Amino acid sequence: MKGLSLCRKSSLVFLRRAYAFVPSSSFCTDNNSSNDGLQNSRVKIFDRHLKRKQRDRAAWLMRPNDSFVDAVADNLLDRLEDCKRTFPTALFMGGSLEAVKRLLCGRGSIEKLIMMDMSYDMIKLCEDAKEDANKNIETSFIVGDEEFLPIKESSLDLVISCLGLHWTNDLPGAMIQCRLALKPDGLFLGAILGGETLKELRIACTVAQMEREGGISPRVSPLAQVRDAGNLLTRAGLALPGVDVDEYVVRYRSALELIEHLRAMGETNALLQRNTILKRETALATAAIYDSMFAAEDGTIPATFQVIYMTGWREHPSQQKAKRRGSATISFKDIQEQFGSGS
Amino acid sequence: MVRFSRALLKEARNGINKTLSEILVCPLSKQPLRYCEETNSLVSDAIGVSYPIKDGIPCLVPRDGKIIETDEDIKPDGASDSSAKN
Repeated sequence: MKGLSLCRKSSLVFLRRAYAFVPSSSFCTDNNSSNDGLQNSRVKIFDRHLKRKQRDRAAWLMRPNDSFVDAVADNLLDRLEDCKRTFPTALFMGGSLEAVKRLLCGRGSIEKLIMMDMSYDMIKLCEDAKEDANKNIETSFIVGDEEFLPIKESSLDLVISCLGLHWTNDLPGAMIQCRLALKPDGLFLGAILGGETLKELRIACTVAQMEREGGISPRVSPLAQVRDAGNLLTRAGLALPGVDVDEYVVRYRSALELIEHLRAMGETNALLQRNTILKRETALATAAIYDSMFAAEDGTIPATFQVIYMTGWREHPSQQKAKRRGSATISFKDIQEQFGSGS
Repeated sequence: MVRFSRALLKEARNGINKTLSEILVCPLSKQPLRYCEETNSLVSDAIGVSYPIKDGIPCLVPRDGKIIETDEDIKPDGASDSSAKN
């Protein structure tokens, strides 16, 4: 009896916890996933506070027309043209949201736009950069964290996150929150950097550190692999998931210029367990090794950026679905007999 | 004229627009927020935290939130009806 009451008590606690994270959730997967989110949120990989500072800095360093960022934003927005429906309410968050807004050009016929970033300076920059192209869109600005999305349930038609979500500690949790914020049949579009990103820098850093310091510390953050992206979408409960990958090779005059670019994008190291000391000679050795290992004939050095594009919809009865298992009325044998006999 | 522009400025500085007041919730509890005119902040009554509004931009990062310590800051429910729409 005692054991039973204890058990009931603990299950109650569990329920309440799940409720606190995902209120009024009716699907059983939500409870599971929020529980997962709870576990994941304990694992801290990235220093979000540092990332916020880096993004503050990036707001000031940002280049007016960054070709890499623009290419990614444009590719992401291009998907809106493939959709027949319109998206009256949209949320742009994190990463290169300034480029997304600049390149929107009326796609998706957005009426109300909310822009969210964790950096106040970045949001201020977006607010100050008022273009004529988006004049008829009612734009609001908020400072918020992707890990703690301050958006009411079922209130958005579109969520776009361009190059921002790879810095979240709990990526599935962040995507679940996006899904909950979407209305049924709402669209989630995300672009994150994949595992192949900056592989040259990763190698150069490792070799230089081994050589100069006799050991290595993480300089480039762990990133999601392509195969994870599909799982992420399904785990977040998004219907009709779609993943595709693009690789961009950006050429720089020197490795130092690459670092400048990363800084301007706010993509510099924000690992919690990072080494806060970077010796000058290690840094210079990294640049030299990068140059000697990867430099092209014309003296430029390439840097690979792998971008994973993710598309998913919030479930809606109108969407196509696979039929229930075992619900087929025709046997494959019959089909083979029908069509196979001719050949 | 001066008074008019000042009033306009005040309106721009304070509060949030209708779209946001309809959509925003507390990032931690996902419960509705209440606009507090006195401190120009958004208050989550569910967990007793107030989020500041800087220059018309609400800052809803959990780190920016301030825990309301005294009960006096939390207004009775009757007062919140007019400001909270959700």
